[in-house]
Amino acid sequence: MSMQSEAGANSFSLGSLIRRPETGSFLGFIVVYLFFAILGGAVFVGAPGWSSWLNIAAEVGIIALPIGLLMIAGEFDLSVGAVVPAASVTTALLCGHFELPALVGILGGLGLGLLVGLANGLLVTRTAIPSLIVTIGVMFAVMGLTLGFAVLITGSTSLSYVPGPVTKALLGTFIGGMFNVSIFWWLGFIAVYFYFLHISPTGNWVFALGGDAESARNAGVPTAKLKISLFMMSGFGAAFVGIAQLMTYQSAQVAGGQPFIFNSIMCVVIGGVLLTGGAGSIVGIVLGTMTFAVVNQGIFFASLDPNIGSIIIGALLLAAVLSNDTFRTLATTYASKKK
Amino acid sequence: MSKFTRLAATAATAIAVACTASAVMAADIYVIGGKPDDPFWSRVKKGAEDAGIVAQAQGGSVTWLGPQNYDNLGPDAAELIRQAIDQGADAIVGPDWVPEAMDPAFKAVTDAGIPLVIYNAGGLEAADKLGAMNYVGAVDYKSGYAGGEYLAKAGHKNGACVNTLPGAANIEAFCNGFNDGLKAEGGTGSTLQLPATAFGDATAVAQAVRAHLLKNPDIDAMFAIGDGDTNATVSGIQQAGKTGSVHVCGMNFNDSILANIKAGSQDCAIDQQGYQQGFFAVSILNNYVNYGVTIPTREVLTGPGVIDAKNVDQVIEGVKAGAR
Repeated sequence: MSMQSEAGANSFSLGSLIRRPETGSFLGFIVVYLFFAILGGAVFVGAPGWSSWLNIAAEVGIIALPIGLLMIAGEFDLSVGAVVPAASVTTALLCGHFELPALVGILGGLGLGLLVGLANGLLVTRTAIPSLIVTIGVMFAVMGLTLGFAVLITGSTSLSYVPGPVTKALLGTFIGGMFNVSIFWWLGFIAVYFYFLHISPTGNWVFALGGDAESARNAGVPTAKLKISLFMMSGFGAAFVGIAQLMTYQSAQVAGGQPFIFNSIMCVVIGGVLLTGGAGSIVGIVLGTMTFAVVNQGIFFASLDPNIGSIIIGALLLAAVLSNDTFRTLATTYASKKK
Repeated sequence: MSKFTRLAATAATAIAVACTASAVMAADIYVIGGKPDDPFWSRVKKGAEDAGIVAQAQGGSVTWLGPQNYDNLGPDAAELIRQAIDQGADAIVGPDWVPEAMDPAFKAVTDAGIPLVIYNAGGLEAADKLGAMNYVGAVDYKSGYAGGEYLAKAGHKNGACVNTLPGAANIEAFCNGFNDGLKAEGGTGSTLQLPATAFGDATAVAQAVRAHLLKNPDIDAMFAIGDGDTNATVSGIQQAGKTGSVHVCGMNFNDSILANIKAGSQDCAIDQQGYQQGFFAVSILNNYVNYGVTIPTREVLTGPGVIDAKNVDQVIEGVKAGAR
């Protein structure tokens, strides 16, 4: 982390800004974890507890990462709620119904995610409609198409597919009977996105896009291309989760996936990404996701009323936004003092 | 707005009266139901549409009205009922999911003189209270009761009911029935309430079940409502390492649930035979509007039917034939 701030100090002033929201998210995570560790006891602190919330974190996390990048770039993507079931239904159709090889089905599902992302990106960059509205529209369109095609082709809205041993091992198994393999995929996605946002030069473009898109374009950043790629990343992430759920639970429902919309945004915001764009970090998003998952699962180990869980998540969200503002003012004043 | 509604209602009454007056009538029947992409409701819808073939042959129609999502179920469904009145329905079929929110709308139906059948949820009690002709459906409480009784009789007496939609009257009735069914056979029951953010997310349900089982190791019986929740519950039990020691019954079924029953990872499924609900509710109304004939049997029960290892093959044949 120290390397980050050093690099940030002399190359790009956003670097020092990135570091601060993370501190807030990290403290938040520690407080929440300790709270549930005390209430949840030994089971929650042990492997069953960790696997329980990591399984939740992994799935929402794979979607929250690209959603976070989009929000740093100043855009929203609500269509993920429809892409999750659409991808799992597509894969179930290709593999389960038409009995094609698993790879074809998986590529089909992922391809659908990329395609929806491309549509989102094109609509956002070619029109003046805000991404919030575009992706709501696309979400309903994708929901309708998924339902329509599933009923048209199979006459049913719930499809099932029993994956082969290799597919199951890669996408839907529980290591040690409890750790979902998607946790490792999540770690992989974290590494890739960390490189993309914080190490590769393209990462600064993402921040610039959310900071001031007009200046970014004038400075030679290919804003349209970049935005479209970001939307395709979130489509890909959502499709990946949909396929992983199909391989895990062996059934694809046309409905479902809706919770991912708000859950992923909450993870990102708790992780210190500014709603207005221009600031945020991968480590923050990961911490936000972990905090969200700990609250979600901790509730059951703590034997509290689950509705209290929703209250805690709501309170966390508000606290996160409030502290983001505070950290932002702090960061800007510190920077000016140093120079 | 309300003036318009009343006006439309009066107009609808006039049409309804005019319709019943002449001998041969075309019945435009409006059916309020779940989301058309809900696996269970797509079967109910198919039943309603199949009965609608007769209505169409007689010049009538069947229109399905379902909510976009279940976030605001009661008020949304009440709105759909009023929409059906406004569109000039000759007869209306609807479930009494959230009585507090929906009963005033159902009252508006009967006040307007439109024949009404309550189906799927509410029971004969709701039908009587609202002045409906009949109730078609499984009684949720009895369905849950059958599940609890089945598991307790097999010796699994400490149960938990998974509730992913706290506040919905029918889900609570399932859970109460399940717990009472256990108690009747000398067991005990509780309810695992999930936050609203979990509905429709299999992983969230599975992890909640698993956490609950780890926290409460005495539980050996579980009841889940709906295909998706049941599959997720089975996975949660597997992840808790309790396959074989925790037994599951679920409401409704699909291919993977039948496979699970055959494989032994699920003990039983309670079928409320959704196809029958849509089919008979529409048929009763169509025949009444067209010919004035009635079904004197009040409370037409379509369930509960228990599917377990003994009859699962027969049910699979039924699925293949398209009857279930």
